[in-house]
Amino acid sequence: MSDDMPMLDCRSAMQQLWDYVDGELTAERMQAVERHLDACANCHPHAEFAERFLAALHQTREDRSCPQDVRAKVMASLRDAGMKVT
Amino acid sequence: MNDSVPPADARDVEFARDALPYMDDVYRFAYSLTRNAADADDLVQETYLRAFRSWHTFQPGSDARRWLFTICRNAFLRSREKLRHEVDVEDSDMETLAAVMNQGEMRKDGSDQLLSRVDLAPALTKALDELAEPFRSTVILVDVEDQSYDAASEVLGVPVGTVRSRLFRGRRQLQEKLRAYARDAGFASAGNPAQEPNDV
Ligand SMILES: [Zn+2]
Repeated sequence: MSDDMPMLDCRSAMQQLWDYVDGELTAERMQAVERHLDACANCHPHAEFAERFLAALHQTREDRSCPQDVRAKVMASLRDAGMKVT
Repeated sequence: MNDSVPPADARDVEFARDALPYMDDVYRFAYSLTRNAADADDLVQETYLRAFRSWHTFQPGSDARRWLFTICRNAFLRSREKLRHEVDVEDSDMETLAAVMNQGEMRKDGSDQLLSRVDLAPALTKALDELAEPFRSTVILVDVEDQSYDAASEVLGVPVGTVRSRLFRGRRQLQEKLRAYARDAGFASAGNPAQEPNDV
């Protein structure tokens, strides 16, 4: 942790918020945003909200899966194409 | 030429092991592109047929899901025979700020409580289905299917900056839909004028 680095301002922290929660920043930037979020009462709830929102979005996976009849059709067409396994 | 071409049966076993387990993922992505079950069914079949026939081009150890998503998107474009030139605004920093402001408003009017509800997923699935392209497929790839910006950029054939821009706009639109849903469901205080957030 480099303590000589100046603290990010709120605007820069929020501009990088999505990239931060997505883990898409460089290691130093991830750390800089994290330091800001840990210390800033304004920005911290935004990050928390963003994470909850993305977790809820990820949950929608369970709402939709490949229907059994489609699965069967895929397997049948693969067998027609020469696939010998199941 | 590769001098260690495995016998056909080994290839089939590899395909079954590395590609077939992602049928749910491919189905969700296909559905995000076609937005209806019948076309998604056809697209999943087409994707797996193409994948099986070109399995020799798959690099062992690389990301099979990313590879399947790319085949799926190409098959979709081929089926539509339209390679649209989509112009995206790439001001994704502004998109992030706008999304953050929207989040601030959701917290103020109480619609953020919705995020803790167990039955939120169906509402979000519906909101996702209603999301316009190209935002929908991008959000599905990154937020539902866990693809990195880089992977989504490869699958969708657009620059990473475009992925970010689409993603952030898509998320913001989803949050707006959730706010409306929260108001309808009586979670949020209706008629609360959206104030300019002063904490950003
Ligand atoms: Zn701050």
